[in-house]
Amino acid sequence: MSKVNRGRGVLIALFLAPSLLVFTIYRIIPIVWNVVLSFQRWKLIGIPRFVGFSNYLALSQDPVFWESFRNTLYYFFGGTPIAIGAAVVLSLLVNKPLKGRNIYRALIFLPYPITPVAIAIIWKWLYDEKVGLINYVLRSLGLLRESIGFLSSFTWALPSVIFTTIWQSLGYYVILLLAGLQTIPDELYEAAEIDGATGMRKFQWITLPLLKPSLFLCFIVGIMNSFTTFDVIYVMTNGGPGNATEILVTYIYKKAFTFNEIGPAAAMTLILFLFLLVVTMVSNKISGGEAGGVHYYE
Amino acid sequence: MNRKILFRLMEHAILILVSVLIMIPIYWVLKTSLTGENLFNYPPSLIPKDPHIYYFVDVYYWIPFLRFFFNSVFVSFVVVVANLFFNSMAAYALRYSFPGKRLLILFYLSMMMIPFQTTIIPAFLLTKYMGLLNSYLGLAFPLASTIINIFVFKAAFDSIPGSLFDAAVMDGMKEQTILFKIYLPLAKPAIATNIILTFVWSWNNFIWPLIIISEKEMQTLPLGLSTFLSYFESTNGQMYAFVIMVISPIILVFFMNQRRFISGIISGAIKG
Repeated sequence: MSKVNRGRGVLIALFLAPSLLVFTIYRIIPIVWNVVLSFQRWKLIGIPRFVGFSNYLALSQDPVFWESFRNTLYYFFGGTPIAIGAAVVLSLLVNKPLKGRNIYRALIFLPYPITPVAIAIIWKWLYDEKVGLINYVLRSLGLLRESIGFLSSFTWALPSVIFTTIWQSLGYYVILLLAGLQTIPDELYEAAEIDGATGMRKFQWITLPLLKPSLFLCFIVGIMNSFTTFDVIYVMTNGGPGNATEILVTYIYKKAFTFNEIGPAAAMTLILFLFLLVVTMVSNKISGGEAGGVHYYE
Repeated sequence: MNRKILFRLMEHAILILVSVLIMIPIYWVLKTSLTGENLFNYPPSLIPKDPHIYYFVDVYYWIPFLRFFFNSVFVSFVVVVANLFFNSMAAYALRYSFPGKRLLILFYLSMMMIPFQTTIIPAFLLTKYMGLLNSYLGLAFPLASTIINIFVFKAAFDSIPGSLFDAAVMDGMKEQTILFKIYLPLAKPAIATNIILTFVWSWNNFIWPLIIISEKEMQTLPLGLSTFLSYFESTNGQMYAFVIMVISPIILVFFMNQRRFISGIISGAIKG
């Protein structure tokens, strides 16, 4: 590292300026302004008026808010553990010296970067009551007597959306866990084999404990993704039927940009923000400050 | 030994089953975009019969596809270029020790954990007051620099030996020349990660265009796709041809360099 002199100081400032400008306008100011807005009453016209905590009070009495909060939790807990569980099994498999494992890895990963709006349209059609592939297959297998309108059913809509999310994110978890698996030294397994450990034992006593940081990271990514999902739900169900698939972000969007109720929407945003802040802080604490940092460089 | 072979076969069977299940939706949409048959015909056939490209041609005529395509390409291009410049410059500046550097890094790390969705209302208002609604700049601005990618560059620059830098200074090179002529050419993987991540984020971006774009001509592809769905409902082949047209650039980039693509996407676990 070189010492800072005057000319260099100017250069550093100039080099940092463009990115800092972006972060100031699209992160710092919005975070602060959102707090202010959450204490105001404003419908995008006229002058905002401070109303104390009444937006929060109104939210606490808004059943849709609670339902969307519940749905968000359900969306996370219903999907992420299954996806991570399946990903553990798959990552162990594609970590073995199997023929064609790179093809498996690539195919399983492929859905992840695909445009969520397109994914939503594809799955909306797969779930369709009349022409959907899923109904067709289930009926052909004799698992279903009559077609189900998955996305228009109060019972099935949320699980269906969750399934789509699992389908898309599975490969991501697989690769993340694979990166973790590859950091486990082979000597550990060899030593365990000499001591007579079997497959299950090795998994329980070596793989799982050493995979903990990666599992933890999957969990954090799962929370972040679940609580910020928007595209898939907006396109597949738009929160319906009723509010059966309404989650916090879709409700915030509706409140702010359909009904122009900026105050309550901002209050909800702040609640979401604080929730995620607490989650990441707690997980940082547990993991010793490594959550969120992904290191997978070849 | 037989047991071992059986075990191997089972492992392959599981992986093949999962891969097939994962690929079915993508195969199905591709097939329907070429035939339309899964929409009307029962039972559906596995192999496309009489494939044609009329649905793709229809998309071209039904909506201003070229315009949407241009919008998406242009915005993504601006985002990628801006990220390459701004992030590498910031990472270069972080090579030096200067007062407040620790604080700045702490600031970056905490900003990185803030999802864009928790800033949309003021972000929209700011964009409106800057007069950037329905504009390319408005679309690209929030993504013009991303923190994770600054760190990607920083990690790459940190691994470049300091003696190289000293030699360049001795030769009287200007700092911007050192960055662009020496550092960046040595940080190709970091450049690739930057391009991949920001291209995918920008290309797939939906909520932001949805909020700030109201003029039809300014719609990006995902926005055009969701509008198309609301006009035509889901039972026509054109819809799925359109879907294919939107996702194929991503898939193309993916197959061009799978390993780098996957590791690039993985390093952007949390968008920011």
